[in-house]
Amino acid sequence: MVAGSEAEEDLRAFREAVSLVPWHVAKDLISREVCLHCIIRLFGIREPAKGFTSLSPSMFSDIVAELPSTGEGLNGIELGENKDKNDDETNEERHPAPSICSVCFGILQICKVNDAEIPFEKNGVNFLANVIADAVKEEGHEFDSFCVEVSTPPAIPENDLSLLSYINSKYGSESWLQKKPLGNIISLKEALKALVTGPLETKLGVNCSQGTFRIWLTYKEASPLTSCDDKTPVAKRQKTDCNNKNTLVACTTYGLVAENEATEPCVDSGKITMTIPTDGFGNGIAYHESSCLSKSREPCSLSIECYRDAVYFGGRYLKYSRNVSQTCWMIDEERMGVTSVEEIISGCILPFCRGDKSKFHAAGREDIDVRMLGSGRPFLVEIQNARHVPSIMDIKGIEEKINESKSKLVRVKHLKLLGSEAWSLMREGEAEKQKQYAAVVWISRPLEDRDLCTLSSFKDLSIMQKTPIRVLHRRSPLEREKIIHWMKIERISGSSQYFVLHLCTQAGTYIKEFVHGDLGRTNPSIGSILGCRAEILQLDVTDVKMDLF
Amino acid sequence: MDVYCLDHVNFVAQVEHLLPARQNPQTKLKPRRRWRREKTLTRLTTTKRSYAVYWYPNVTDLPPLPPSAVNPISSPNPDFKKPSHHHFIYRHPNGLCVVGYASGHLSDEGGVKGVDFNVRKSDRRDIKVTGKRMKGAMLLRFRENAQQFEADTMLCKISTSVNTYSIRCRVKGSLLEVNEKFVKQPNLLNMSAEREGFIAIIMPKPADWLKVKSKLGGVR
Repeated sequence: MVAGSEAEEDLRAFREAVSLVPWHVAKDLISREVCLHCIIRLFGIREPAKGFTSLSPSMFSDIVAELPSTGEGLNGIELGENKDKNDDETNEERHPAPSICSVCFGILQICKVNDAEIPFEKNGVNFLANVIADAVKEEGHEFDSFCVEVSTPPAIPENDLSLLSYINSKYGSESWLQKKPLGNIISLKEALKALVTGPLETKLGVNCSQGTFRIWLTYKEASPLTSCDDKTPVAKRQKTDCNNKNTLVACTTYGLVAENEATEPCVDSGKITMTIPTDGFGNGIAYHESSCLSKSREPCSLSIECYRDAVYFGGRYLKYSRNVSQTCWMIDEERMGVTSVEEIISGCILPFCRGDKSKFHAAGREDIDVRMLGSGRPFLVEIQNARHVPSIMDIKGIEEKINESKSKLVRVKHLKLLGSEAWSLMREGEAEKQKQYAAVVWISRPLEDRDLCTLSSFKDLSIMQKTPIRVLHRRSPLEREKIIHWMKIERISGSSQYFVLHLCTQAGTYIKEFVHGDLGRTNPSIGSILGCRAEILQLDVTDVKMDLF
Repeated sequence: MDVYCLDHVNFVAQVEHLLPARQNPQTKLKPRRRWRREKTLTRLTTTKRSYAVYWYPNVTDLPPLPPSAVNPISSPNPDFKKPSHHHFIYRHPNGLCVVGYASGHLSDEGGVKGVDFNVRKSDRRDIKVTGKRMKGAMLLRFRENAQQFEADTMLCKISTSVNTYSIRCRVKGSLLEVNEKFVKQPNLLNMSAEREGFIAIIMPKPADWLKVKSKLGGVR
């Protein structure tokens, strides 16, 4: 049977891994309620590639019971209680009713998923993979690769380190330790990812690689530490060197601050060392104190989320209506304008992608009563957590749908899919943008030919604009210098006081205020140049000169 | 390159050059109107390409005198006896008030000669307002009892060759800006009191404005 042989193979591989650990250390740690996974990863041993997919915790107990028969032949004088291991009454030496690991809080033991206890007899990792796969399928994402991210309670790395120093303190003098000091602990997150990735790949049918689709496993402690003195889970670690005997160590996990004589050797793990005050018996106090958690502690609860990175759609939009704002504009619960460009465009894209939320970003904005014509204004629609990423044909379909809609208020050009580089593209040329406008202007005296010449002769005219009164309530009162690159008048036949003004300006210029002068706060203005009163009736943006889309 | 046109006459003039010379422009040019309701866009198709044509309003639709951009609500007090009643306030829909002074009656005194913003301890020109929250704006007082108009904070004093008049704020709020041009050229008040010759810009709180509104007669 294939399954059987696989199981045997796994068992054998596991036995080998366990045998790398000195057996008395293993027994000691097990008696301190550390699970086998944690013991192995503490010693820096990578679990076999296949993982323990088909091993059940009962098999673990068997291995544990076999421990004295493997490993080095140290006589068990120090640990006298283990002498009668091979006897029949080994039942009490067997791992008792499985208890939660004190280091990983049951995460690697996979004993609780989504608030449902898994009895220890079941197949740990496979069950977990099934649950995750179900959750992912329920969300309905379409993806071709995934990556797993894990978030664990912050106490776990602290537990790792405290366990490490406990081992160092207790067995520091032994040869195996001095030969090869413990340094590289495999972190819980790596170990868990290694465990889970294989079965998930088979379940979901795609490979695990860095991509846009993430599965997030969040482990939360079920109950906060109540019996410890100090609740802050972060222990401050300080760099010490072994020779420094008088180091002050603040060890806030355990609420102990002590002037430390550093009687026990501290192992330099390269970057971080942690010295634990001793109780004179050569045992690390701290680790004892950490099992102030009661014996039947609660395992961590797992919650699974999956999401896709944001997807960006870029293009240019044109606005043909003088009653449509760019984004949804409400004053006192009342909407100004009929609808908004944001709603029209996002309303087509979001349901197609089955995303959660959409955000609309545009390269600048125009008033509600200003049409956007010509080449259009660049915009970005950001879809968060899209379930389905449309193909190029789909995108063409969306574009046509928006353009052919009955109301003809907005039109979209060059719609396409972008990655996160879209942001930098938008922001790049923002300040250097030039914009072109066409405005219908009225002046208080008849237009003369020399006026046309006067205005055409201005090239790169510099104007000073104070913040217009119509926006002064929400923008800071500053004086801004802007440049008008060129201007051109076009007469209207049939009227001597109305004309169309075409102009090209720097980004951020208030055109309406440039025409009517804003009570003299903008100068020079058309009124002051022509020497009469000028008013603006209509404004259209005819071009946004940007090299985008 | 798209075509911007005002009416049919202009349309013909603008697009003539786009069409081959042989065609008779008068008869061939009938732009297809796609959207009748909006009448904003049609397309002109020649043999080479299609141009978008954006229509502007018809000349006959344009009003003889356009609405002014700046003063949607103005309220000068019609009682011209008291000097205080020559103040007027323009209120913008966003709540800001522009305070001015109708100085027509001063013309017989020779017009405004000088203005002094340094009244009652602080020079009103020295206010420096920064930021969206308008930090640094001076708070103005206003007493509800109209008889005690002197209780208002004074903005400035204008002097003619005969008299000196004090301009009060008339509405309670924060003083955002003083008309700098007016400071330098007091005779702006003679020429265009309603536009460039305004005195100051004030931001009242909504509740304060409601109290004052009833006092001001003749809201246009």
